[in-house]
Amino acid sequence: MREAPSPRYQLVDSVPGFVVVERAAPSNQSRCYFCAEATAPKEAYREGDQEWHFEEAAQSFQFSVRDNATGEVARFHELLGLLYYACLEPGSKLHRIGEVAHSVGISIYIAITYDSPDGTPCEVAPSKLEWLNRAFNDRIRTPGKKILILPDLFGIQEQVSSGQIMLDFSLTTMA
Amino acid sequence: MRLQQIADKLGLEKLTPVFDQDIDGVYISDMISDVIANAKPGNLLVTVQVHANAVAAANLVDVCAIVLAQGKRPSDDVLRMAEKAKITVLSTPLNRWQVASKLYEVGLR
Repeated sequence: MREAPSPRYQLVDSVPGFVVVERAAPSNQSRCYFCAEATAPKEAYREGDQEWHFEEAAQSFQFSVRDNATGEVARFHELLGLLYYACLEPGSKLHRIGEVAHSVGISIYIAITYDSPDGTPCEVAPSKLEWLNRAFNDRIRTPGKKILILPDLFGIQEQVSSGQIMLDFSLTTMA
Repeated sequence: MRLQQIADKLGLEKLTPVFDQDIDGVYISDMISDVIANAKPGNLLVTVQVHANAVAAANLVDVCAIVLAQGKRPSDDVLRMAEKAKITVLSTPLNRWQVASKLYEVGLR
């Protein structure tokens, strides 16, 4: 077995938990957050004039990326998941861009983030996105293959459901 | 050990063309986030997950092949996605424990 070279950027401090989707009454607003507790909380709670109710939970994890050259660590607490372009509707703009990129060995993923308390998506800072791209590309061994993780400049998060984004959703809903 | 050798020795059904390459270890999981966090490039992924997300995760971490246990078969769309990403998809009626045992027997660690 070959010894893989040590990557400069590395996924570290993996924290298992749940993506929890909740819905508010009476506004019917939906949002999701990460919960690192042993079980996902299902109790309803009040926040201002809204009552938030548990809707769905899926196993997930959060992680950090460490720069092994400097020892710096960036935590990706805002990242909900990475959506592969090929999972999007064929013919959509992003799918078409992804196909072009794929033809030259680049796999496009969109960084989907958690919602902030007001329901708007969090943002991944450009510098952190660069680290994330490096972390995944540093460990690829297939010659000519690249991963390109982009911010959600395409409004994908508004077009797809949390269920589509949550990577383990299909597994947990079978339970 | 080469992927083609493993496929032949275990009698795995080829659902995509075999993109033959060296296999560096095995990862067994049905949880996609676990695959992203812990699978290694060049690994063989043994799972029962047939969702497109399994291919998306395998591609992200550069897993070279997916072995679907318990006779699982993905949709044609998912197989096309895997083939395009040059990820070999193989299937076997064996369960994950039996696949793991046989992979160990042929020398994979």
